Amino acid sequence: MLDTLLPILLFSALLLAAIGAVRRVRLWRQGRPSSVPVIKGLMQVPRRYLVDLHHVVERDKYISHTHVATAGGFVLAALLAIVVHGFGLQSAILGWVLLAATTSMFIGSLLVAKRRSPPPSRLSKGPWMRLPKSLMAFSLGMFAVTLPTAGILPEGVFQSGLGWIAALVLAAVIVWGLGEMFFGMTWGGPMKHAFAGALHLAFHRRPERFSDGTGGEHRSTGLKALKLDDDNAKLGVEKPADFTWNQLLGFDACVQCGRCEAMCPAFAAGQPLNPKKLIQDMVVGMAGGSDAKYYGSPYPGKPVGEHEGHPHGPIVARQGTSLVDPETLWSCTTCRACVEECPMMIEHVDAIVDMRRFLTLEHGNTPNKGAEVLDNLIATDNPGGFDPDSRLHWAADLNLPLMADKQEADVLLWLGDGVFDMRNQRTLRAFISVLRAANVDFAVLGNEERDSGDVARRLGDEATFQTLARRNIQTLSRYRFARIVTCDPHSFHVLKNEYGELGTAQTPADYHVQHHSTYISELVSANKLTFKAWKGGSVTYHDPCYLGRYNGEYEAPRDVLKALGIEIKEMARSGYRSRCCGGGGGAPITDIPGKQRIPDMRMEDVRETGADLVAVGCPQCTAMLEGVVEPRAGIKDIAELVADALIIETPADQSPQRQQAPAAPRPALEVAS
Amino acid sequence: MSDLIRRDPRKEWIARNRLHPQHQDVLAEQGGGTKAFEWMGPNGVMRKNPHAVGFIGPNGVRRIDRSGAQQAAQTPGRSAETKDTRQRITIDQPAFMVAVVPDMAGGRLSSHDRDLLGLARQLADADPSQPGAVLAVVFGEHKETAFGEAGADRLLHLEGERFSGYLPELKVATLQGIEREVAPRFWLLPDSTLGGGELGRRLAARLGERPAAQVWQVENASASPTGWRCTARGAAGRDDIIRALPRVVLALAECADPVSETRHAAEPISLSQGLPDVLGRIEDLGEVAVDPASVSLAEAEFILSAGNGVKEWEGYHHAAEVLGATKGASRVAVDDGYMPRDRQVGATGTWVSARVYVAVGISGAIQHLQGIQSCEKVVAVNLDEGCDMVKRADLAVIGDASAVLAALVKRVEQYRAEQQENRNAA
Amino acid sequence: MPHNATSSTPGGLNVAVLVSIGRHPLTARTRRADQDARAVEMALTLDGASVSLIHAGQQEREHEEALRGYLGMGIDTVNLIQQCPQADVVPALADALRQGAPQLVLSGARAETNEASGVLPYLLAEALGWPIITNLAAVEKVEQGMATVLQALPRGKRRRLRIRLPAIATVDSSAPAARQSAFGPARRGALEHLDAASDIDEALAAWQVQPARKRPKRLKIVKSSSARDRFKAAAAKADGGGGQTLTDVTPEQGAEAIFKLLKEEGVLR
Repeated sequence: MLDTLLPILLFSALLLAAIGAVRRVRLWRQGRPSSVPVIKGLMQVPRRYLVDLHHVVERDKYISHTHVATAGGFVLAALLAIVVHGFGLQSAILGWVLLAATTSMFIGSLLVAKRRSPPPSRLSKGPWMRLPKSLMAFSLGMFAVTLPTAGILPEGVFQSGLGWIAALVLAAVIVWGLGEMFFGMTWGGPMKHAFAGALHLAFHRRPERFSDGTGGEHRSTGLKALKLDDDNAKLGVEKPADFTWNQLLGFDACVQCGRCEAMCPAFAAGQPLNPKKLIQDMVVGMAGGSDAKYYGSPYPGKPVGEHEGHPHGPIVARQGTSLVDPETLWSCTTCRACVEECPMMIEHVDAIVDMRRFLTLEHGNTPNKGAEVLDNLIATDNPGGFDPDSRLHWAADLNLPLMADKQEADVLLWLGDGVFDMRNQRTLRAFISVLRAANVDFAVLGNEERDSGDVARRLGDEATFQTLARRNIQTLSRYRFARIVTCDPHSFHVLKNEYGELGTAQTPADYHVQHHSTYISELVSANKLTFKAWKGGSVTYHDPCYLGRYNGEYEAPRDVLKALGIEIKEMARSGYRSRCCGGGGGAPITDIPGKQRIPDMRMEDVRETGADLVAVGCPQCTAMLEGVVEPRAGIKDIAELVADALIIETPADQSPQRQQAPAAPRPALEVAS
Repeated sequence: MSDLIRRDPRKEWIARNRLHPQHQDVLAEQGGGTKAFEWMGPNGVMRKNPHAVGFIGPNGVRRIDRSGAQQAAQTPGRSAETKDTRQRITIDQPAFMVAVVPDMAGGRLSSHDRDLLGLARQLADADPSQPGAVLAVVFGEHKETAFGEAGADRLLHLEGERFSGYLPELKVATLQGIEREVAPRFWLLPDSTLGGGELGRRLAARLGERPAAQVWQVENASASPTGWRCTARGAAGRDDIIRALPRVVLALAECADPVSETRHAAEPISLSQGLPDVLGRIEDLGEVAVDPASVSLAEAEFILSAGNGVKEWEGYHHAAEVLGATKGASRVAVDDGYMPRDRQVGATGTWVSARVYVAVGISGAIQHLQGIQSCEKVVAVNLDEGCDMVKRADLAVIGDASAVLAALVKRVEQYRAEQQENRNAA
Repeated sequence: MPHNATSSTPGGLNVAVLVSIGRHPLTARTRRADQDARAVEMALTLDGASVSLIHAGQQEREHEEALRGYLGMGIDTVNLIQQCPQADVVPALADALRQGAPQLVLSGARAETNEASGVLPYLLAEALGWPIITNLAAVEKVEQGMATVLQALPRGKRRRLRIRLPAIATVDSSAPAARQSAFGPARRGALEHLDAASDIDEALAAWQVQPARKRPKRLKIVKSSSARDRFKAAAAKADGGGGQTLTDVTPEQGAEAIFKLLKEEGVLR
């Protein structure tokens, strides 16, 4: 009986899966068009999965091994089951392999079950709790029906008295297993991640994130520009169908593993954001319905089941509730911790900014001080609304060389809007003294500089960002410089990764941009700086998101600190897992209340290391961390630490008038030594 | 007491003669105090005994405070009664009139009003051969007694029930009546919101005169048809418009110096014709109580700001109400949920420009200090003497915030009670 | 605090808002004028009101950008009455209002460019024979040809007024802040051009306009017979620099010192 039943079951499950797949694809294709190389993408799935994705999964060894056993076992078992039981190929060897595959899958499912007893809070419950059992059902069922094929049990064992009952039980178990594994894969069970995930890897909207075997950095973090030339086009994402289809596909790939949730600073601070829930809400919106069937952690303070959406209904309602509340979108600090952690390489930040763009550009609903900041950026080119002609007032005594006078310099020092902030002026002064000590040929734009547009862009005001960026590009195109150095990782990121797209043939915007820590590190390696021995207390280092996760610069700041003779007491969360200070993405401007503040949590991380001082490399981080109530560790920018430790060889070096003069004797000294 | 200096040559002689047995006694008597260090010399010049003045400094050296602060407290109030030296001026037959409609905020001439009267005097007195008279037009009840000292020659007081409340239409019709009867050469009004600013514009529109608004300077100019030239702010304060002085002038505070050298008659006059009846299209339904906390921080002129050091929030809120201050807060107080976010002062909150900023229990993070840069006077109440806010403050009181606030509330309530009594007495 | 506003007028209230070209105080870039934008905001928060925006001026690229700032608040059209640069816009605006016959006309108290004397609403009121009120803070209700409104007084106080419609009202910075101007609606909104004859404002030619000079600060003049008092008064500024710190004082002494300062500054009322 099983011989006839199994093929029927298998093929009907496959057929249903195929129907489900078509239905799922149609759901995705509701999104806006986005052209992707279909064949090339599909061809790259194995590599992307086994190399790039595995690299992320591997951070959790346990689940990595579990997944290899389970998924590997399943893929093999499913293929062989179709061959052996579907087409009835009675090969003992294949039978043995199939047995091995199901065994591997079974062991994997035991590990899955173990991890879920009890499940950690970041994992979703509901149908996901059934998954280990379903995996076992499939593997055990397949194992049992394959025993005769492999010759372990006699042929026809399922046809006699007791065998009949066993056969019926087995058939039921296999129906369960097939239902979950084949039918559920495309109709929306936990196994959906396998189907959607594989295609998501193939048609990812940022193919640059995947390695191509030639080595090098595979990082793609700059936001994509919004086309503003069509007057009638809707700007940003209003409803789920306004996402591109491959974004929708990406949302569908989510495995609800909750790694993003565990890393999200806003979630930890009790702000109403949970990246996992947000992605699931997008899936709900794409299919239509309410979020009542979501079984993970909710947005803090917002019960599940009160929101619902539709592919062509608004995600954020002007009044009342819809799919997502605006506070959720404005809680994000764009720190990218979720994206960095996501084993499915889902782009949460892109989605959030897309929706913010609609809220700002079409609704005009940037919360709290957002509107004021954007108005200031439009009217005065800086978020504080200061007189743009007072950009250099803080440096009246420094005699900074202006690009307008020099036309050409080795280093263009991008000062950023920190020029209006008294705290940041200290950092800038420190860095300028470092540059002077190293006899660097540098110049600043002075009043010609404008805000880089970072804040405007994260607040969704793409129009203001593009205006600011184009004007900055225009200004920069007038001068010749080898590189741009800045103390602000946000300007750094925008200049390096987001201006390029806005450059034109006449005014290309591909600059060699460096963060000041990178540049100081270069100066140190070139022996341009000499330091006193470090006499301060213990120091830890806080990785700015826009320097670390966005641009992969983890080492240079640490090298500089090392060169100062500082041994860094690393925080538990550092490097790519560094916790955000809460200052990015316009979060201090939109200021969504939570249970605690993100910088307080970060200073708690610092406290745990027992360090007396946190070294930072970002004006936002400095401001946010210094805002934590004392007693707390001191906060100093790397430039300040370096400037404090400088040994300036001759006092004359410092005076700006004789800036160029000492350049000559230096090589002689080096030769002599 | 007579101002004549009565001399006693014998005592003067004793005071000069240190060897005289009565020397000390005479000095003491002449000095007026217990310790004789200063007395009136023979020519009415004050004489000092340097041995008797000063104090022993920290190093055991005698120090004399020459700023006068020491003596000022001790000298008997001989010069307290100064004679009113101002010249009394009466203009009986004015060649023309300059009308001023003061705001009379609180029933008294404000300093803005006095500046306007000063400006009116300039216009009236320019040609000594043909002196003009300054007419002050006052609506409703008032408590002012010094119109003459402020420079008004004539006072037209429009009294009665009819003029209480917000009655711009009646007022402008009345001014129109004055225009018909008196025909002043100039109408001067303070360019204040809800006062002269409004009334003056109404008047100008009614008279068909193009007014000069936001005038801050008026100069003689023979070339101008009116003989005067004014400088007015235009384009929201970005431009200066220099033009002939028109008949209706809306002037800013400090457009001229107030009258101080002369006294004028402030002779009451009245209109010969009755007041016009105006069909009121605007009806005043009275003032509405509004929460003082709702005044936006950026506009507030008096802010009581609370920080981490405030432990008793009830007391703080009560103090803000009693003082009539707008509430502000440091970032920490907002983060801890004691104050709403729109009350946050500082670089990350609101930049304020209050006349007086009282920081209670705020240590003064740099972002906060940036936000209060343009405040005129800063008062700090803090336990920590070394904190940055105390360094910034014009007045710092080191002590427990709640205790100081409670004492301040008591003091202000006492002051209010006194004022009430005075008012009742008057 | 916004007590906003309901109108029970059948068929909705017809509100016209006069808008002008603003100029940022620091950078002089054109923008929507702050007070006019507040007037638009007030009109938009009136329940069931049909709002029309009127601007009299030139059709220029820079001006268009500024007018689009109002469109971005969710307005479909701005009626642009074309006038030459030296025109006196009062007759044209009065004509337009007479024709449009709105029940309520809102505008900012004062423009941000040119003369900015703030007289225009009064001239219009005089020309149309309509009542005018200033410092409008909120419209509470509109019924039977009467509007009940709140007028802002200094220091956050309010006065309730009833005014017969049609009327003109000006708002200033005490009115609720204008909503954000969104980029999308701003560029999709339309500017409808209306032609009108320009009356040349002749007085302008006789004026001399120059960038504002800083006003001299008035010195404290102390009329005192004593040289010491005069000297002290002249030097008074100097001792303001260093703050006074009272340590080891009782709360009462501290309070007394603060009280004295508050009284001197005149913030206690």
